[in-house]
Amino acid sequence: MLSIILILFSSIFFAGFILRTKSIASGRKGPGIMQPVKDVIRLFKKGTIYSETTSIIFRIGPVIYFSSVLMACMVIPFGPYKGIVSFDGDFVFFAYILALGKFFSIISAMDTGSSFEGMGASREALFSMFAEPAFFILIGSFALLTGNTSFFDIFSTLHLGSSITYTLGGLAAFVLVMIAMIENSRMPVDDPKTHLELTMIHEVMVLDNSGFDLGLILTAGYLKFAMYGAIIADFFIGGLSVSFALPLFLFIQLLFAVTVGLIESFMARFRMNHNPQFILALSSVSFLIFLGVLLVLEKFL
Amino acid sequence: MFLYESNVLVGFLLKAFAALFFSGIVTIPFLSARIKPIASVSIVFIIALLTSVLAIIGLKEGGIEYPVSGGSFFGEIPLRIDGLSAWFILIINFTSITGALYGAGYLKSTRENLSLITFHWILYIIFHASMLIVTMVQNGMAFIVAWEIMSLSSFMLVLFDYTNPKVLKAGINYLVQMHISVVLLTMAFIWVYFKTGSFDFKKIELFFGTNVNTWLFLIFFAGFGLKAGFLGFHTWLPLAHPAAPSHISGVMSGVIVKLGIYGIFRIITFLKADYLVIGESIITLSLLTGLYGIMNAAIHRDFKKMLAYCTIENIGIIGIGTGLGLIGIAKGQSMLIFLGFGGALLHVLNHSLFKSLLFFSAGSVYRQTHTRDMDKLGGLIKSMPETAGLFLIGSIAIGGIPPLNGFISEFLIYCGILKGISAAGIAQITLMIITFAAMSIIGGISILTFTKTFGTVFLGSPRQKLTSEPAEVSFLMLFPQYLIVLLMIVIAFFPGYFVNILGMILTVKIFPNTGISAPDLSGYLAVLRNISLASFIFVLLISLVFIIRWVVMRGSASKLSATWGCGYTAPDSRMQYTGKSFSKSFGKTFNFVLIEKKRYEEIEREDTFPETRKYQSFYLDLFEHKIINPVILIVTRFINAFQFVQNGKIQAYVIYGIVFILTIFIGTILNFWH
Repeated sequence: MLSIILILFSSIFFAGFILRTKSIASGRKGPGIMQPVKDVIRLFKKGTIYSETTSIIFRIGPVIYFSSVLMACMVIPFGPYKGIVSFDGDFVFFAYILALGKFFSIISAMDTGSSFEGMGASREALFSMFAEPAFFILIGSFALLTGNTSFFDIFSTLHLGSSITYTLGGLAAFVLVMIAMIENSRMPVDDPKTHLELTMIHEVMVLDNSGFDLGLILTAGYLKFAMYGAIIADFFIGGLSVSFALPLFLFIQLLFAVTVGLIESFMARFRMNHNPQFILALSSVSFLIFLGVLLVLEKFL
Repeated sequence: MFLYESNVLVGFLLKAFAALFFSGIVTIPFLSARIKPIASVSIVFIIALLTSVLAIIGLKEGGIEYPVSGGSFFGEIPLRIDGLSAWFILIINFTSITGALYGAGYLKSTRENLSLITFHWILYIIFHASMLIVTMVQNGMAFIVAWEIMSLSSFMLVLFDYTNPKVLKAGINYLVQMHISVVLLTMAFIWVYFKTGSFDFKKIELFFGTNVNTWLFLIFFAGFGLKAGFLGFHTWLPLAHPAAPSHISGVMSGVIVKLGIYGIFRIITFLKADYLVIGESIITLSLLTGLYGIMNAAIHRDFKKMLAYCTIENIGIIGIGTGLGLIGIAKGQSMLIFLGFGGALLHVLNHSLFKSLLFFSAGSVYRQTHTRDMDKLGGLIKSMPETAGLFLIGSIAIGGIPPLNGFISEFLIYCGILKGISAAGIAQITLMIITFAAMSIIGGISILTFTKTFGTVFLGSPRQKLTSEPAEVSFLMLFPQYLIVLLMIVIAFFPGYFVNILGMILTVKIFPNTGISAPDLSGYLAVLRNISLASFIFVLLISLVFIIRWVVMRGSASKLSATWGCGYTAPDSRMQYTGKSFSKSFGKTFNFVLIEKKRYEEIEREDTFPETRKYQSFYLDLFEHKIINPVILIVTRFINAFQFVQNGKIQAYVIYGIVFILTIFIGTILNFWH
């Protein structure tokens, strides 16, 4: 229960910190930390415009997308506290419930009948498919290392063995940051601030969403960031007591937000056809972690 | 061993089944056109009811044994219904009933002549009964006969639209491949016969006990694998499924393909050794099958072809589970056996449900629009809302996405992989992690495939003007689909019940060679309860967000407007993203597997005023066009070299006869044959 509260709490500030980092990096003062949340609240109050082409799918899509992200957050543990839902193999559930949200966000983009939104939908489906094995090899390796199969058990037993696991944790953090960037359609893969619809992925999918629905989609994006931040934090928190774990958690979330901001400030978006290579390279980093785990377990003769 | 040996009730049920079957076939031609479908559906229903009772008895008692005299040719044919048969009988029955109901609606609007319909229904009953018999008989010879009847009746069911040359070609391709399967199976059974002197399945166990296991298993696997559609044996599926009428494709994809899996499972129960190598080989092949199937499914525009390739993918997933179970036997891990075999068997059930649902709803689209090309459709959710909803449910379930049933079986297999990972051996660990990653890629591509299909067919606006305005199909066609959805939801939210049944099947009684006591399922039952709880929470969460949305949006204004054209003021429905363009970048990324061919005429330099021209792009099956067709070409060339033998001259034929008789005569005298 504590974990979901913490994720919700950090998601409020996450986007603000990213924005502030970007402003400072580009030498501007920038909006306040709370500006993204204020934007969302304003959107919630606004009226909506629906395309005449759309059907019920377009109306239920954002709701299911948001709920799936929230549901995925419920699986994440925090240090010594389990998530609301926790069982053996829960990370499979985590990945697949996020997939449900993606399914609906893709088809609700297709529902508008717009060529641009179809294009974004196609790219989203392709790139998130490529990101899938990186996550599974990553968590699979840690399941092998710890002999456990639920998020909570993996994280709470991770650092009991040896200190090399911190190195693996570092690599894992890198993979997860990149997965988070892909899933949230951020910089090296997608540029949310681009001016041209042809070069967008996620932004072009939500062109026709407005009002409450757009607010939900944006909120889901912030939640997703905080969710991945929580997983990264869990890699280092392990079995620490709450008094240490809580500051560490918030620090890692902050660090994650600043990292995202810095990546966004100093990297350019890849060419669209280089994205699959980049994302597949992530899987090989995951595979590196797997080999590291084999080393730790002394499976090589 | 079997409690119900020659029981009165079992005998009665079997006799009733036989009597109903024969009387049904004889009477259907004499019924009036209106009553024909009703009578056929009721016969299928009652046969299903009778055999389901048998299956339930078999399941409860651990097995039924009922010997039937097969005359001097077959000898005694043992009918055995154990848990494994029972599981498949129940699956066959459910899908056949829904298929018959849907078929009754599907054929209602057809203008085909009455004799064709009569023939179709008779074949359907034969088809259903032969599938049931395949799961019951345990005599090699009788099994082959039942298997052959099943293949032939399904072949003729595929040929419903026999005037279409494409259908004929697909049907004949199916017929030939099924006979390769029969030849392989016959070889395998005869080998067992020569070694043990009996066609009884029990003797296969004797064979495996005394001989090398891999070779006989390989022949059986190839024979059954052709039916199941493993990679390399799959080329008939994407041809036959689109050619058949939709209720037949649904039943074929849902059930007949699974009988290949049944055969493989049946042979596994007799295996005595070499579990590890067989298990690892099956996993590797299944992995490739799954990836290949879904990659091809992602690019095709013909939505029934897409579904056929998707069946190949699911066979891959089932195969992964089967291989895991075998590794479990090799390693002596009862939990892994349960997760592997159990996951595979549950996926057999799940796939039979959502695949028939998808074929039925796709069939409804075809019935109303008369095209299978998704790029000609669009916006059907407005005219066919119920069909769209059903297709959406099927699409989500087939991706293995919670909260629907596909997730449960894929989850069991994922858990099996995680169990197998911690077992031993670096080779095995690596295989497991690769399988793990591949399963996730398969899941990802299947989302791409089904968002593409659903989005193109049902969403957006119509891409072409159709000859007639599509409307929702009749209740008779929708009703069986709702039945399927109901069962799917039951599996999704109450999986514990089905897992318990699987626990009853996966006992030492049925898999005697595992020699392992039944695993303690309580741990996984608790996990499954957690999953259903999570699914309930999720549904609640969605409803909660909906309520909040409704409350918040009540006050604010909402209006309709055109889709935002990004500044372009004259958007056209032809400008929408098509299915082809949706999967174009995917196809390009994997162009080493997915062969794209284009057919067009270049604009020549002297074409000052280019005229209307055509551009065509299509995908070819790698195996069919790079491996099978070249081999067939070489074989045909070789055989053609002997064409001079068949020269049409009677004199030459007489000489062949004389040479033959002389060879036999001289050979006998010189004692060549011994």
